[in-house]
Amino acid sequence: MFKYLNHLVISKFVMAATGAFIVLFITGHAIGNLQIFLGKDALNTYAAFLQSLGEILWAERIVLGLAFVLHIITSIYLKLYNNKVRPTKYAVTKYIKARFSSRTMIWTGIMIGSFLVFHILHFTSRDIDPKYKEMHEVYQDEHASYFGFDETVMQATNANDFGIGMHPIIKQRHDTYAMVVDGFQNIWISLFYILAVILLGFHLSHAIQSMFQTLGINGPRFTPLMIKISNAYGIFIALAFAIVPLSVLLGFIGRGL
Amino acid sequence: MRINLHVWRQPNTEAKGHIQLYTLDDVSPDMSFLEMLDVLNEQLIQKGDDPVAFESDCREGICGTCGMVIDGIPHGKQSGATVCQLHMRKFKDGDDIYVEPYRHTVFPVIKDLFVDRSAYDRIIQAGGYVSANVGSAPDANANPIPKGIADLAMDAAQCIGCGACAAACPNGSAMLFVAAKVSHFNLLPQGQPEKATRARAMVKRMEDEGFGGCSNYYECEAACPKNISVRFIAKLNRDYLYAAFKEGV
Ligand code: HEM
Ligand code: FES
Repeated sequence: MFKYLNHLVISKFVMAATGAFIVLFITGHAIGNLQIFLGKDALNTYAAFLQSLGEILWAERIVLGLAFVLHIITSIYLKLYNNKVRPTKYAVTKYIKARFSSRTMIWTGIMIGSFLVFHILHFTSRDIDPKYKEMHEVYQDEHASYFGFDETVMQATNANDFGIGMHPIIKQRHDTYAMVVDGFQNIWISLFYILAVILLGFHLSHAIQSMFQTLGINGPRFTPLMIKISNAYGIFIALAFAIVPLSVLLGFIGRGL
Repeated sequence: MRINLHVWRQPNTEAKGHIQLYTLDDVSPDMSFLEMLDVLNEQLIQKGDDPVAFESDCREGICGTCGMVIDGIPHGKQSGATVCQLHMRKFKDGDDIYVEPYRHTVFPVIKDLFVDRSAYDRIIQAGGYVSANVGSAPDANANPIPKGIADLAMDAAQCIGCGACAAACPNGSAMLFVAAKVSHFNLLPQGQPEKATRARAMVKRMEDEGFGGCSNYYECEAACPKNISVRFIAKLNRDYLYAAFKEGV
């Protein structure tokens, strides 16, 4: 399966194709997160909706995980291979066009990867702070049918007292909002997240335009514009992610909790 | 003007080289960089020292033999010019100038600033030609080619194979060279029948020679004395991916 690593252009294509997949996910994730500004109900509804996708969610996780694994293996292989080609540096080192962001892709990449592991343990598997597993919110489901039986009915609300067919209005779901606010009220965790998403924006500011070049799309008007879009996209992603921990730290979100 | 030249001296491929300082007085700003090195060599020969070995041929920027690294940049800081086209007026009186050979595992140093670039010739041999026997020149209008395509093919054909792209690339990739050579055929009707095979064979030869892969740093484009654009690398990527689907890798 990893035979493609012997072909430099195919390896680059794998970098671009897996990167494109991750970019799609990251874009959706960043925009989805912004729902925290619409309030607790909006965020928790969104989170519960994602959980309710079940198999679709798992399919997405597998594809994304595969994309990450290929992206990381290929990048490390390419880097080690390329480093051996010109081991001796010049007496004077000067770069004219190679931007800092392009020369640090492997380092920003590795830092993003390490952050990703922490992030998944923190908010997805919730093993860093196991109390997040037990954070639940009791809410009223306005859309639930008035009749019919629902497993998620809260015993504690005495919903059963209403009798079959009348109760599925009071439900419980994971309180993502409270978890995020609690997580980001820790200044170190917030600063860590902010640093990581700035590095991510930096990685992407080179990556987007690089991806088009790798896929063979380059033109005298297209490419200068794409370089600008790439930079803007990197800044947008960094801001869209960073504004959430920043808002919690500054008390704009979750004061009442 | 007076300059301090820090020149890489290395007697042969196996020897360990070092930087040697030579101070040159009375350098004329009208001299080309190579003429300045000629003056240095005359002085060295008069003193009975070994002259600095470097390559040159046309001295008018079209043969590509004079590639060397000046202050960290192949062909020096003047954009779009070879070393033979670089003049001393681009430097200031009292400047320190570092002159080194290309540093690349595929371009071993033969002596001083002189490197072995035959790997580029072998890449050309792998596919930088059209194998149809074309006979005598046809009428100019027998084979219509749109102006835009003709111009683009000419831009690619500007490549003089000097090696600066691979020497400038942090990965030591020769993609700009291969891209220019592949594109100048693949853009034109005469190159079509072997389009996929050519892209594949020349990239394969580049890999087998030991050149690195492209990370889109674009340092090659900045160093290229013929301003070959990295858009040809994008085209090569396209042609190669097409070939990989069509013929396998
Ligand atoms: C998880 C750890 C990561 C590592 C180790 C990593 C490493 C790299 C490296 C070294 C490159 C340049 C490859 C080369 O040109 O030689 C690269 C390119 C790229 N990365 Fe990442 N990266 C990571 C995460 C990400 C993430 C999270 C995204 C997207 C949100 C991403 C998107 C891209 C894209 C689109 C490219 C451009 C591919 C191309 O140039 O064609 N990467 N990555
Ligand atoms: S000597 Fe021919 S290009 Fe410089």
